[in-house]
Amino acid sequence: MRETFEMETVSTDVSQKNCERWDSLHHLTLVSELEEAFDIDLEPEEIAEMTDFSKVIAMLQSKL
Amino acid sequence: MTTFVFRNQTIEAFLGYKDMTYSGYDDISQVPSDVDRYIWFYQVPVNADSAQLADEISSYRDKLDMVLAGAGGLKPFIILSLVNLFPLRLTGNESAVEEAIASFNSHAVALSRQHANVKWVDFDEFTSRYSSDLLVNWKYYFMSQTLLNPKLAHDFQAWWQQVEAGLRLQRKKCLVLDLDNTLWGGVLGEDGIDGIQLGGEYPGKAYTYWQRSLLQLARNGVILAVCSKNNEQDVQDVWLNNPHMVLKGEHFSAKRINWQDKATNIADLASELNIGMDSMVFLDDNPAERELIRQFLPLVEVPDFPEKPYQLMAFYRQLVEKYFRVYAVTDEDRAKTEQYRANAMRNAEQSRFADMESYLYSLDIAIDVIQADEHNLPRIAQMTQKTNQFNLTTRRYTIDDVSQHLDMGWRVYCMSVSDRFGDSGITGTVFLEPVDDVTVNIDTLLLSCRILGKGIEEAFIKTVFNLLRLDGYRAVRADYLPTPKNGQTADFYDRMGMTLEVAGEDGSKHYTMALDGVFEIKNCYNIRVL
Repeated sequence: MRETFEMETVSTDVSQKNCERWDSLHHLTLVSELEEAFDIDLEPEEIAEMTDFSKVIAMLQSKL
Repeated sequence: MTTFVFRNQTIEAFLGYKDMTYSGYDDISQVPSDVDRYIWFYQVPVNADSAQLADEISSYRDKLDMVLAGAGGLKPFIILSLVNLFPLRLTGNESAVEEAIASFNSHAVALSRQHANVKWVDFDEFTSRYSSDLLVNWKYYFMSQTLLNPKLAHDFQAWWQQVEAGLRLQRKKCLVLDLDNTLWGGVLGEDGIDGIQLGGEYPGKAYTYWQRSLLQLARNGVILAVCSKNNEQDVQDVWLNNPHMVLKGEHFSAKRINWQDKATNIADLASELNIGMDSMVFLDDNPAERELIRQFLPLVEVPDFPEKPYQLMAFYRQLVEKYFRVYAVTDEDRAKTEQYRANAMRNAEQSRFADMESYLYSLDIAIDVIQADEHNLPRIAQMTQKTNQFNLTTRRYTIDDVSQHLDMGWRVYCMSVSDRFGDSGITGTVFLEPVDDVTVNIDTLLLSCRILGKGIEEAFIKTVFNLLRLDGYRAVRADYLPTPKNGQTADFYDRMGMTLEVAGEDGSKHYTMALDGVFEIKNCYNIRVL
């Protein structure tokens, strides 16, 4: 997430609402990086749900 | 540098965000002028109706023309070729879409030949590495309008960096080759002329393809040289008598075939060819030799050499992409091998004459001094980028920079030189910046190193002085700015009779001179002003 958003640190309360860089384009880049890094496949519905840090973590945990 | 990208799909993940502005999807209504360059990167849209799709693709050609006209002829304009990532054919003999794509691509290539600022980049070079399943990711397409798989973004960026490096003209000039197990299989000294592996079945066949490929490098302006531990007579024999040999003595501009260490030999080659070691690439199958060169000559590029002969073609492609790619090969580049060889002959000739003057007479040197125009502009800019040794100020200019200077009233001349051994082409230039009505400043003066040693630099600058005087100028200013490579020009203006006004601590020098009389030029040169 740090790389995708070009940020120094990523706090655990980051979400699409409070992070300007986390727009739809960066979201897809993030998802594509996560799919690659964890070797998982996310469905479009699941991708749409991952709107903040805790939901991303929860989704990853459910997949691993 | 800021870039504006014309696109019809979401490609931000590939070209990135930094200093990039993107058009709307297939939106050509805006051609912003406050950017440094333009990129055209369209994808073939997804449409199962192939007649409709072909029509849409055909419209890109007109759109590209309009955008190009709006962008003007000065700023770099990069066009990526169209590639059909997802070919759909209902019937086997349907080709409308492919024809529309081919027609767009050949139009783009034609544009890059007509306009010096237009560069054509073959996107297929990237996509052809992947299977169609990997190239397209439908999930991402439907979610964000990007047919090209975002998972290839890292690979794309690596490829794009190489493309950009090529666009900046960072190509190497010379490829230095070992012989045994590098240009052919086996060891000549042990296996003999007919025992080495070349031609016929594998592995000889792989070396034949390799040699043919290297020959293409030579034909496109890369200088080939040999550095091999062998008996020179054996090598001459194999060049003469092995019928499978593609690359022979005449294709190499310089050779070091002896038992001396290769670091000394390569340093010798650099000075014989008059090029810097940072423009050389060395190939050798022996890791110890490669290590030696890396240690002693760190400026020389030394890639690892493939273990197996069947890897040579893939290796050739890497070589081209990494070191020898340029986006506009000029005729000058193509003729270069020939010119370096003719130089070697001239050097041999020189030893037969007792004095320099009679040698120069015998060469029938013709110098044409030509004003900069649209035909020679790319070459002039290229020379400012590449010339290091005889370059008084080493200022690097793009084609755009030079045109801007011309618009501001600068005079730019170039010089084309030939003699009885061959035509060296455009090999020198001078940029004159008017200071006031009677004074000019020499902003740039450079000559390609392959024509040095014949007093041509003196004849050229004196011709220019005489031209300036005829046009009413009365004084000249000039600078020498030292670099690690241009030491030979440190006292050039002193020798031309100019007056040293200021000498800086960094070694720079500032000169002036009055233009009050005709500058005598030796009459062994046939000089024309065009």
